[in-house]
Amino acid sequence: MPKSFNNNMLSLQHISKYYQNGPNKAYVINDLSLDIEEGEFVSIMGPSGSGKSTLLNIIGMLDAPTDGYHYFIDQPVHQLKEKQRSALYKQYIGFVFQAYHLIDELTVYENIETPLIYQDIKGSERKALVADMLDRFGIVGKKDLFPSQLSGGQQQLVGVARALISKPKLLLADEPTGNLNSKQGEEIMELFRKLNKEDGVTIVQVTHSEKNAQYGSRIINLLDGRIESSITL
Amino acid sequence: MLKNFITIAWRNLYKKKLFSFIHIIGLTIGITVCMMIFLYIMNEFSVDRFHKQGDNIYRVMRRFDVNKNMVPYLAGTYGPALLNDYPKEIKQAVRVCPTHGLVQTADKKSFNEKKLYVADADFFTLFTFPLIKGDPKTVLKQPNSVVISQATAKKYFGNDDPIGKVIEIDQLYQLKVTGVSKNVPSNSHLDFDLVMPISNFEHYDWFKVWVNNNLFVYVRIDNPATAAALEKQFPAFMQKYMGADMEKMGVKFDLHLRPLKEIYFEPSSEFDNVRHGDQSVVYIFLSIAILILVIACINFMNLSTIRAVERSKEVGMRKVMGALRNHLIWQFIGESVLLTLISCVLAIGLLLLAMPWYNQLLGYELTVSWNAAPIYLFLAGVILFVGFLAGSYPAFFLSAFSPIQALKGKLQLGKSGAFFRQALVVVQFCISVFLIVGTIVIYNQMSFVKSKDLGYDKEQSVVIPLNNNDIYNNMRAFKNDLMSKSGIQSVSYMSGEPGGFHDMHTYEAEGQRDVFKSRSEFADFEYVKTLGLKIVAGRDFSPQMATDTTDAVLINETAAKKLGFTPAEAVGKWIKNNMRDSTRRKIVGVVKDFNFISLKETMDALVISPSDDRRVAVIKLKPGNVSSGLAAIKEAYARVAPAYPLEYTFLDQKFDTLYKNDLRQQTILSVFSGLAIFIACLGLFGLASFTAAKRTKEIGVRKVLGSSVQNILLLLSKDMLKPVAVATIIAMPFAYFSMQKWLQNFAYRTPLHWWVFVLAAVITFAIALFTISFQSLKAAIANPVKSLRSE
Repeated sequence: MPKSFNNNMLSLQHISKYYQNGPNKAYVINDLSLDIEEGEFVSIMGPSGSGKSTLLNIIGMLDAPTDGYHYFIDQPVHQLKEKQRSALYKQYIGFVFQAYHLIDELTVYENIETPLIYQDIKGSERKALVADMLDRFGIVGKKDLFPSQLSGGQQQLVGVARALISKPKLLLADEPTGNLNSKQGEEIMELFRKLNKEDGVTIVQVTHSEKNAQYGSRIINLLDGRIESSITL
Repeated sequence: MLKNFITIAWRNLYKKKLFSFIHIIGLTIGITVCMMIFLYIMNEFSVDRFHKQGDNIYRVMRRFDVNKNMVPYLAGTYGPALLNDYPKEIKQAVRVCPTHGLVQTADKKSFNEKKLYVADADFFTLFTFPLIKGDPKTVLKQPNSVVISQATAKKYFGNDDPIGKVIEIDQLYQLKVTGVSKNVPSNSHLDFDLVMPISNFEHYDWFKVWVNNNLFVYVRIDNPATAAALEKQFPAFMQKYMGADMEKMGVKFDLHLRPLKEIYFEPSSEFDNVRHGDQSVVYIFLSIAILILVIACINFMNLSTIRAVERSKEVGMRKVMGALRNHLIWQFIGESVLLTLISCVLAIGLLLLAMPWYNQLLGYELTVSWNAAPIYLFLAGVILFVGFLAGSYPAFFLSAFSPIQALKGKLQLGKSGAFFRQALVVVQFCISVFLIVGTIVIYNQMSFVKSKDLGYDKEQSVVIPLNNNDIYNNMRAFKNDLMSKSGIQSVSYMSGEPGGFHDMHTYEAEGQRDVFKSRSEFADFEYVKTLGLKIVAGRDFSPQMATDTTDAVLINETAAKKLGFTPAEAVGKWIKNNMRDSTRRKIVGVVKDFNFISLKETMDALVISPSDDRRVAVIKLKPGNVSSGLAAIKEAYARVAPAYPLEYTFLDQKFDTLYKNDLRQQTILSVFSGLAIFIACLGLFGLASFTAAKRTKEIGVRKVLGSSVQNILLLLSKDMLKPVAVATIIAMPFAYFSMQKWLQNFAYRTPLHWWVFVLAAVITFAIALFTISFQSLKAAIANPVKSLRSE
């Protein structure tokens, strides 16, 4: 069932990632093909070691596959140089991590601002954008606090805000609620749903939680580096 | 972007205060030491550069032995004769006689001036010593004129205008102040407080003799080629004026021209009464500066890397957010430059604080100002060089990691990186061990020199220079007066006390075909008794022998040996001083060798003769009450020379003056090696804390498996001490050879004991272990549950 090429956000074709282990190849991703359309909200599930995070990192261009073709908004990523890849993902992709990965030495405000710095956006414009974001997430009062002064849920909120500041088309989340309690987790998932529905942001998340996976529009189950099942909800 | 970087750099510094302190303070000390040494070296090389005619001025040197240093002292006759014989070549000739004198002002204040120069009227036109008052061309024209320095003017006359005031020198010369000069800077080999015209002395008979060498002659020759050509004509010149004298003495003198700018560093005898520098000290200083800067830089680099690794998460995150490699490289280099900048600012502050102490250590005020342009250039160089170099390694190293690795915080500093860091630690400790060995050896040698039995009795002996006419003319009365006092054991007049002046004279001696050259002492009959020398053959001078004054000499064992006799054979042989005596003298006794010259030189032959030449009195006090003995001396002195304040030294203090440079080297080396090892330990401390942190999980697992705290401690320390051990092994041969070389300076030296090296190794290990154990202990006693949970 060929899909309209233009509608594709990204397309992975026959992607493999393996490590040479003596004469044997240890596959993390094994000949995997996957297309994701714009506006989808995909949840990747699977047991530990099934390749979820690696797949997410490949999609986010933080990691390169050993074999295969990778297109992102019609660009052949597998042929791009580091600089071009970097330019591509800093424009279109936002990341959210399980451990938040905020920079400890920067305040909430500065953490959110940092991606803009690398996109050479002017100071005054940055200010406006960050203020907007703070407002939208209701964390204006916390802008001068350091990450260590926030709760886990609040830190992840900042993490999401930072991921969204450069208006990405694709949001990648690696177990975004893994370190949070259930209430905080729910809030983040609600936020994701809203982003997906109202702002049209494509989201790919890796999760262990059946419940969180239900927020998405499609669930992909991985096993041993292959797609075991793909269920559209 | 810049603001973001600076913010984060600053917060990083602030968050890890101890680490930042170590990081910055090491470099700060390094830079401070370097600046100090830089200032010193600049000062040394700036000596005598301020003379406008500097390139054309030469000091005329006399040489009587090709193997010995040239002597700068000439007689008063040389200057006019040179001008007269070579009017085309020599444009100016200025005689300068450094002396001392008693100065009395009109209001009866008296001062004993040590830096009185007696010079030709051209003095201030040849040399560029600026005058605040007076015309350089005419200030010294009149015999009854005098130029005094600004400080001297202030001392004599307060704020009054000194011009026209009259001062009296040595109760003989009434001189009117005609000029005031700026104070002589410390970077000048000539150093005076007063300059009086030499015309006051020209009429004396002793001044007209060619063999009475007591002043310097400076000449101006406008072309180096002319100077070289002129030197070739000097043998003829000497033959013309000194031919007869030289034949009589059986020696040949030769003249040379020494460029002004080379005077400061020329190899000199200790009796050249001008400021001299020691090039070897300059080189030692320079090497220390380089070594310490190397240690500090290595430290800085190692700590930068460690610090950067701890920020791998930040690096990863920045990459994920779109930072390019360039961004990160510049961020790290920028931070590194910022740190160096802070260090430089602190170093300047530290330098200002340490300056008075440093001047004291050096023994003079540095003329070069600390805020001169070269210092800034040096600092800028340090900032760029150290900042960039230290920053670039972690920058390139970290920015190369993939963001995933970095984010997981699993940055493995690769094998080569670890090797590199260890190699750096090895270099640091090599230098430290080297410096420690040096310090121990120098300390050892100096205490050997200090405690060596010199063969004469130096205890409770007072040395008084016979440096004015009053005391000189009343020597006998002074001695009789002293001998009547109960606290005085004996008094002897002589030409030079042990460690002091012992001129080289030429002799004819029984059984010798060639001229016999020997150090000479002219002393009275109490010489042997006062110094506690031992007679090994024959007898001492004796007042009972009426002819001893004119017919007898004593020699030392070395002289007997050089003459080819045993001490017993030497007694009764004749010897004749070619310069002083017209008749032969008989050797009446042989004294046991004693170290009358510095221990840097081998034992030399010595002839002790009673003929006239008395320059100092050595007064041996009775054991016990020194102060009453001194009081008696003061009283007796005041009776014969009331106008002069008594100046005295103790014979055992001679040590400090003889080995001044070596003692200074010792101090400097101990201070700087202390600093070096301190900086190296700072680095080790940083490295230890890093290693301990990196191995937290391993330590946790080991403890869970049952390892004891001691085991862990041993495990961690063993690894950290390995580079120190390697460094010690590498440094030892270097230290051995350089200290061997340094010891060559001394004719009498301690052997390089094996324990020196063991001690150095033990000290190094003890300090290193102490440094490491802090962090290791902390890691070892930590609760394993905590360290494992973080994984």
